Amino acid sequence: MNPVIPSGHTGGGQMMPLISIAGLSVRFPAHSECVRAVDTVDLEIASGDHIALIGESGCGKTVLGMAVMGLLPENARISGTIRYRERDLLRAEDVEMQRIRGKEIALIMQNSANSLNPVVTVGSQVAEPILIHGILPARAAYTEAVRLLEAMGFDLPERAAGRYPHEFSGGMRERILVAIALACQPDIVIADEPTSGLDAQVKSQILHLVKKQMAERTLLLITHDMGTAHFLCTRIAVMYAGEIVEEGRAHDILSLPMHPYTQGLLSSLPSAGLHSIPGMSPSPAHLPGGCRFCSRCPSATARCSTEHPLMSVRGSRRVRCFHYD
Amino acid sequence: MSRKIILGVSIAFLSLFILIALAAPLIAPTGPTVIIGPPLQPPDSVHWFGTNEVGQDIFSQLVWGARITLLFGLCAAIFSVTISTVVAIAIGYYGGIIDEVVCRAIDIFLPIPTFVLLLVLTTFFSPTVLQVSILMGVLYSIHGIRVIRSQVLPVVRMNFVEGAKAIGAGDLRIMSRHILPNVIPIVIVKFISVSRRLLVVGVGLSFIGLWDMSTVDWGTMIQNAYSQGGLAMGLWWWLLPPGIAVVILSLSLSLIGYSLEEQFNPRVGVNRI
Repeated sequence: MNPVIPSGHTGGGQMMPLISIAGLSVRFPAHSECVRAVDTVDLEIASGDHIALIGESGCGKTVLGMAVMGLLPENARISGTIRYRERDLLRAEDVEMQRIRGKEIALIMQNSANSLNPVVTVGSQVAEPILIHGILPARAAYTEAVRLLEAMGFDLPERAAGRYPHEFSGGMRERILVAIALACQPDIVIADEPTSGLDAQVKSQILHLVKKQMAERTLLLITHDMGTAHFLCTRIAVMYAGEIVEEGRAHDILSLPMHPYTQGLLSSLPSAGLHSIPGMSPSPAHLPGGCRFCSRCPSATARCSTEHPLMSVRGSRRVRCFHYD
Repeated sequence: MSRKIILGVSIAFLSLFILIALAAPLIAPTGPTVIIGPPLQPPDSVHWFGTNEVGQDIFSQLVWGARITLLFGLCAAIFSVTISTVVAIAIGYYGGIIDEVVCRAIDIFLPIPTFVLLLVLTTFFSPTVLQVSILMGVLYSIHGIRVIRSQVLPVVRMNFVEGAKAIGAGDLRIMSRHILPNVIPIVIVKFISVSRRLLVVGVGLSFIGLWDMSTVDWGTMIQNAYSQGGLAMGLWWWLLPPGIAVVILSLSLSLIGYSLEEQFNPRVGVNRI
């Protein structure tokens, strides 16, 4: 397996990936400098894969997710390709992206104060994607919305459908957001921090719900939480300062992290003793020339600060570190 | 005094005027232009507000005039608020260079006294009620664009707009189904205040005579009474009824506007009156 090659036709009778991201870079020009939010990311997502993008705030994981949705702001400078079913999503027409969004690739939004429209009833908001994509007529779409709310664990779905978002708790709103994402039965779901801001018990309920709903689907989870990633995903890609630094099967990464940053992340978990990684991640506007983790890395060598490491492939693992060349 | 009472009384007066306008043929079946008796009769039990210089019933004129005056205010306000809302949502949503250009254009037009501009422009148009109301709607929409845009901007940045894009909603749908419902309160407040303003401007225009003078409305009634010397002769029943009607209507619209503004926006100062 050679996941670095961007071509949609990987050799060896390998199943073609559903989404293959190759050489994706996203830059935001800001004043005189240029913020490199995502830098030459290669990632292949096979049908049915559950893959987690993990990393700290500002590492570019959300930008990567938004790039797949085609929802980056207009000032973003994007290069590379995102191939999805014989199409390059980065070069698709707006109208085509609108047809794909919500129907084939859906987004579970992060629950926040305004993630639902405050003046539209919940039922109408869940029914909206069905109407937009013309799957069902208005009345049937609303019935389907009620059914979806029931599937999301609402006891009285008819009543819930007639209510407004502010009448629900954070956990319930997250369920509504999941219902909206799943309304058109999408193949691929991108979940951006679906459990942020929820307390532990509600979080676990939401995670079980998402896991159940994702059984037949492809999931790209964006999170900073190893526990969530481990629970929902079979593969993990660790991002640091705009790059993927390590990628592989979830179990392999958790049991034997290779990249020093992944090791640092794991040892910062409460169960491992809350050891923080010293230092700060570099500003995406002023990235160092060598390895981007160099200044915080306990095993850095002279080579690390001058030369930028490439991805080295080891079986199903990829890691961007000189120690594994 | 409770604000609710003020709002209630204002709405009652407005409803009364609208009812009178709608039921004009029932209240005053003779019509405003029919000569029903000797000229310049003071009020009596048959002709409640007397007659004017050609013997037309002033009560009939007042009742039928309410139609034109209200219809004009309503039409112009609808034009004005529709333009304001559509432009404000569009520039607020798209932002960037369109927003910049429109805002700078508004900056240029805002200090120009609208009424004076209107006086100049009405001379180029045939002064039918519809044309003048369209013209006024356009001219008086400028301020509304500013006000509504300021409410659109925070809504555009809210997460559900991103969410709507993520389910495949197009720009038109996002603007009409997601942004518009969130700015409806300010649109209503703006509609009330603009309709009051345009109503008074309409009366002013017809008083000056830049208007189809064959219609009977409160402005032409005042103009008529004034130009025929009703004021000089002390014929109060000629001049006062349309004047008082304009004042009451304008006052009730203002009070409705202020009350609603306070309801929707608690930060607005309480002592507006």
